[in-house]
Amino acid sequence: MASKVLMGNMPELMENILKNLNNELDSLYSCALVSRHWCKMSIPILWQDPFSSKRKPLFIPIYFSSLDENEKFALKECLKEGLKLKNGLISKLGKPELRQKLLSDSWTNPLITLQFKLFLESGATLHKLDLYHFEYLKFESEIFLSLEQNEQFFSRLQDLSLDVIPVLDIENITKLLRILAKNTTKISVLALDFYSNYESRLIEKLFPALIHLIKSQEQLRKFILNCPKEDYPTAFHGIVSALESQKNSLQEVKLDGCGFSAEFEVLNNCKNLETFRIRCCNTNLLKILDYNISTLEIVGFQIDVPTIVQILGKFGILLQRFKFESEGGIWEESLLIEALKSFCPNITYLYITDIGFSTQLLELIGNLQKLQFLSLGYLRFAYDITEEELKIRVMQIAKILPSTLQYLDLANTWVDSVIDILLNHCNAPLRKLLIGRGSLDNEKHTKAHYGVFAGNWSPNLNIWSSKLNFSYQIIWGDFNRNSPFLQFFEK
Amino acid sequence: VKLTSSEGTEFIIDRKVAEKSVLLKNMLEDVGESDMAIPLPNVTGPILNKVIDYCTHHRDDPFVSQEDDSKKVSDDIDDWDAEFCKVDQGTLFELILSANYLDIKPLLDLTCKTVANMIKGKTPDEIRKTFNITNDFTPEEEEHVRKENEWCEER
Repeated sequence: MASKVLMGNMPELMENILKNLNNELDSLYSCALVSRHWCKMSIPILWQDPFSSKRKPLFIPIYFSSLDENEKFALKECLKEGLKLKNGLISKLGKPELRQKLLSDSWTNPLITLQFKLFLESGATLHKLDLYHFEYLKFESEIFLSLEQNEQFFSRLQDLSLDVIPVLDIENITKLLRILAKNTTKISVLALDFYSNYESRLIEKLFPALIHLIKSQEQLRKFILNCPKEDYPTAFHGIVSALESQKNSLQEVKLDGCGFSAEFEVLNNCKNLETFRIRCCNTNLLKILDYNISTLEIVGFQIDVPTIVQILGKFGILLQRFKFESEGGIWEESLLIEALKSFCPNITYLYITDIGFSTQLLELIGNLQKLQFLSLGYLRFAYDITEEELKIRVMQIAKILPSTLQYLDLANTWVDSVIDILLNHCNAPLRKLLIGRGSLDNEKHTKAHYGVFAGNWSPNLNIWSSKLNFSYQIIWGDFNRNSPFLQFFEK
Repeated sequence: VKLTSSEGTEFIIDRKVAEKSVLLKNMLEDVGESDMAIPLPNVTGPILNKVIDYCTHHRDDPFVSQEDDSKKVSDDIDDWDAEFCKVDQGTLFELILSANYLDIKPLLDLTCKTVANMIKGKTPDEIRKTFNITNDFTPEEEEHVRKENEWCEER
């Protein structure tokens, strides 16, 4: 006769036995088929972690058929929300332990495959696709079939970002790029995160697919290429040259960490290219630009100023927005200021960091009669400047600010402590002023600023506040993220 | 500490050994020092003897807190414990019941793991034969359970 432990009299003891088999699906399955009581005891353990990676595809439809109406509704809502489905489903259906399991799973998880397939077949159209961490992107063949059959899915894709990394599953991603090239011609923004030292199979297979994708587009407007800064790669295997096909539409190019390559000469054929941004690149890239650039951004370490002067001489007259950020200080800064003053009278946006205060700088600012946005990050004064001298300098700045200036960013300068001098002598119709924490550290200024906020002017503040249509934005430390200057520049 | 089995056999053991049982530990704390034997009407002499063997061998083991069920595995039994469990099936289940009654978690876990190991890798029919279980499914019920869980068979 069987022990009462196994006959239903002591369910907690039987459960204790069966829980030792929680990693033994085969054994638990056998237990479920022993008798009614054994079935009742083993099924909850068998199903306690339904999305574990050991679960097989056949499990998925069985799982979905077991959902009640509320759970099915939650699933449909998730599908409507799009590709952020993983988290959506997790939060609506999952228990904490289930969430953890799903988040750690890759795209090969049959549940994710099924959701993605359902999403594709629901008639959705994608506008933006970011493909990072390709190594996790291992679509099942049924997804590719579905992508091919549902041409609408990529048909309106406008924004594509992808990591071009050596470790990716080349067959998989090449297949995806081919489908993209076939099903979309509307990509307007393409961002590639490049890595150097490619394996030959990457160059042979993936790069032709990327080139084909670029050439198949009708209106690529913005091209972004990010490379590893320490390498400054100079070989782009035809990807940059492929921009020849976009010469009539390309308006903006943003390069990060690129070495010089003759492939970039193709940009000279892009007659509508008006925005050029380089960050930590070989500045010789600038020499290939001949004309039409109205927005120029140069960020790097000890930038070669003579080269910049040379290109400002070429198209400075057209330049409207200029950002110059040199890590480690600007060498030959007087040369740069003189070039800006001589060649760039139409600048409306000027962003220069780490520049010294000088009469030359004052003259430049005073000369820019169309200037609307001015950012002087880390404006340097003489090391041993006294407070009185600082007040005089700030007064000089205030007086020469052009009457067109609306936004002034002094957040990371040393003028915080004498900000009232600036305000009292400023005639520009400022709409926004960015100042730093130091402005509020001083009790007098704190009261002044609070007075401005509350609309409760103190007598001496009335002098300038009545002249200015003023609003403050006080920022603390890192201003780059929130700066309206940058927002404007990024437009 | 004096213990009396269901047949009235008396056992004298160290308090430290007795305290491996949470039931006995609580009783001793409640009663205090006493010469009175503690009656254990649910435990037979031979089984109590085995239990005392186990508790004596593990008298210096640290107290084990409740572990997560999901981490349970059945193949982490040391040699002495494996030898200890080489008993007939009746004794094994009696040990499970006694460990449960006396609240000796390590012994309960050990005996339950031993039974789990007897189940592992067997077909439903082999399990039935091993434990003398009658199949009370109707054919339809059995087919239904099989179909709903056949994903377990996927390789």
